[in-house]
Amino acid sequence: MNVISAFMVALVLLLFSAMLTLIRLLLGPTIPDRAVALDSMTTTTAGAMVIYGVITKQAVFIDVALVYAVLSYIATLYIARYLVKKKVGIA
Amino acid sequence: MNFMEFFWILQILIGIGLLVSAIVAIRFKNLIMAVIAMAVFSLILSLEFYVLQAPDVAIAEAGVGACLTTAMYLLAIKNTTDEEVVE
Repeated sequence: MNVISAFMVALVLLLFSAMLTLIRLLLGPTIPDRAVALDSMTTTTAGAMVIYGVITKQAVFIDVALVYAVLSYIATLYIARYLVKKKVGIA
Repeated sequence: MNFMEFFWILQILIGIGLLVSAIVAIRFKNLIMAVIAMAVFSLILSLEFYVLQAPDVAIAEAGVGACLTTAMYLLAIKNTTDEEVVE
């Protein structure tokens, strides 16, 4: 097994763990459970994007993971702020 | 594991995720849960664009789908009533 094949196995396992998080998002009884599941799934998928960029040897693919990590942080912040304070953004 | 076999495993996982999250986003009754399911759908669609060798489209989908639509749907839910109207 060479290095690239080991990276492929790691990426498939990361996507499988993301699907397990998706099951928690389906079954979770309350809304904060689902919000935490969304955040965890986004982080796992950003790691999977970085590993895919390593496999295909293209540095452009790393930027997508960076942009998605920042924007998903903002989205989780919006959801949490709505759940706690019933406010969105600066309003 | 060669690259094509790996590619088809990836396509099957992404297809299952897209189908499940779309059905869930339709069938949830609570509106916040539907917004979260739409965020998951946008995430998996961005991953699909990414696997199909289009990283610029994936960046645009990430910006619009993760941040903008979540914020706008939450603003719309906040400015209207949260519950469904019971007659």
